[in-house]
Amino acid sequence: MSSSDIFDVLNIQQPKSSSPPSTSTTPGASRLPKPQMTGMQRELYNLLGDNSPSLTVQKGSKFKDKLNALSKPSPWTLAEFETASSVKLRHWVKGSKELIEEQPQPRTFDKFNTKLSIPTFSQEEYEDFMGDEKEQVALKEWTFDEIDNLFNSCRKYDLRWFVIYDRYESSKQRSLEDLKELFYLVCERYFIKQEPENPLLPSLKFSKGRELERKNYLARLLSRTAAEIAEEEALIIESKKYEMAAKKTLSEREAILRLLDSPNSEKPVVQYLSSQGLTQLYNSLLVDKSRKRKHDANAPENPWMKQQHHFAQQRQQMQQAQDGKKEAAANLATQANKKTKKQRQEMQNAMKRKADSEYAEHLLQNFTPEERSLLGVQAHGEKLTPGVFLRSSKLPVFKPAVQNKVNAMLQELGLPSRPAMLTAAIVQKQEDLLKRVMTLLDIKKQLDKHEAEKSATNEIS
Amino acid sequence: MAPVPAKRIKTLSVSRPIIYGNTAKKMTGVRPPNAPVEHTHMWTIYVKGPQGEDLSTFIKRVVFKLHDTYPNPTRSVETPPFELTETGWGEFEINIKIHFIDEANEKMLNFYHHLRLHPYKQGENPVVKKESSGEEPITEVESVFYDEIVFNEPNEDFFKILMNSTESVLPSNKIESQPFSRQLEQEDVDRLSIGIRKLDKEIEEMKEKLTEEIASG
Repeated sequence: MSSSDIFDVLNIQQPKSSSPPSTSTTPGASRLPKPQMTGMQRELYNLLGDNSPSLTVQKGSKFKDKLNALSKPSPWTLAEFETASSVKLRHWVKGSKELIEEQPQPRTFDKFNTKLSIPTFSQEEYEDFMGDEKEQVALKEWTFDEIDNLFNSCRKYDLRWFVIYDRYESSKQRSLEDLKELFYLVCERYFIKQEPENPLLPSLKFSKGRELERKNYLARLLSRTAAEIAEEEALIIESKKYEMAAKKTLSEREAILRLLDSPNSEKPVVQYLSSQGLTQLYNSLLVDKSRKRKHDANAPENPWMKQQHHFAQQRQQMQQAQDGKKEAAANLATQANKKTKKQRQEMQNAMKRKADSEYAEHLLQNFTPEERSLLGVQAHGEKLTPGVFLRSSKLPVFKPAVQNKVNAMLQELGLPSRPAMLTAAIVQKQEDLLKRVMTLLDIKKQLDKHEAEKSATNEIS
Repeated sequence: MAPVPAKRIKTLSVSRPIIYGNTAKKMTGVRPPNAPVEHTHMWTIYVKGPQGEDLSTFIKRVVFKLHDTYPNPTRSVETPPFELTETGWGEFEINIKIHFIDEANEKMLNFYHHLRLHPYKQGENPVVKKESSGEEPITEVESVFYDEIVFNEPNEDFFKILMNSTESVLPSNKIESQPFSRQLEQEDVDRLSIGIRKLDKEIEEMKEKLTEEIASG
């Protein structure tokens, strides 16, 4: 536990929170030069952990360090400086009195005190450079005096148009734009005359219509109501949403198109972005799919082929002259191809069964029939339920009432209800026997019924 | 660790004859040391080949489930001979479960045998033998059944095993101690054939009678 933890627990602001954590390590450890060790030794040393005391003692006082002024303070002088007017002004300047000369320094801000050079001209000059431009609509209403007046005020107020407009006095009603337009027009004409090569000339073009439009827009923008502002913001958000959605659909569509394993997917997706394009794509894919499905319908052929292959293998195994059979099978196969799917399937199953039974026969070919029966091996030639069972479990069973009748009949015949030797042959025989017993019982029942009916009718009549 | 199931041989079945049943003897004088007092009989239940052969070529173990009153009623016999000797006083159904060897990859076979302690009045299937041992004749009751285990579509490995174990086959002739044989089978077949013939005749007669009845009625 280090001191910082204690501070933390006691909720005390750490005095030197900004100090790097290395300072909080034990002074002892830091004083001792860490022995240079490598390998296992170093690892062991690391296991020792830092033997830090529970509290770190902050060395030194908490007061601010004493000012150690080694250098002399730099001298400052209250010096006079030049001003335009007659007033005498002074300011503090760094440097000794000797360093700064006695005469007042030029003011530092004088360089910013500039004046615009607004052209001046006489009436003759004006008439000269304006030429036939004077006939223009904008200029018609202006007399030279008025123009001169305007230029003067421009000079006076440094082209601060609002001030100029404010101070402008005229019998005619003129807007700020009118003043601007006239000023720039005259200036342009003047400079064309004075220095026609000046590259800054086009900057003197002023379009009154544009300016008015701009101001109108600005006025409308500033005069919106709160509701209008809210609506606009909502609309902006909405439009952003649409943009996002569009981007998303675009990317999704692209992903889908990439997923669809159509050869067209290599091409850019732009052509499918319209609904028409999408429909086209859909149709083409549909055609593609149907083609694929057709291919799928052919797929069941594969097991068939496999089967044939299997069959051929078996034929090799058997090494017997079954070529005829094989041909027949092949013929069957070609026929089956023409037949319906169901028939084909049936044929297939039959073929499979045949192949299976042939295989079974092949396994048994070394055994004589006697040996087969001795070993209990039997080839059935048809599909069996795989698994193991007791022969006795295959004996037919009846409902208790029927069973009693059957047993009685068997007793009548001098036969046990269960044969002692439950071999395949006997179970078969027993089944036959029981079938006959059932038939006989049925006939007997019918006979009894008939006789009962007959006697009933006789009684009535 | 079941081996990878081999391919089943389709359309083929292999059957193996087995005999199962029990013998029982009344206990006289000599009693097993830990037999309860009320037990009167000593019996043995077994599963074996028709000539008492060892069936361990395809049977892994046989589990006999005795009546719940026996201690540890589920008795598993892992090695041949697959038989179990116990004492008791009453008859009950013994559940026999035959587990086949791993190569067979077959489910176990489950069936019941009714333990017989007392002789029948008239000998039907269980054979009652008279044994004259010493001065006092002791009757040994035997209740034996012949059956066949049929493996439908066995897998190839198991088929080979079955084909190589030819010991458990039916003997051709009936002998005193071992009645189950081809001879008995033939006798049974003949008997059944006779029965079938009789029945056929009877059916014909009855049919005629019925048609007459219907015609007259």
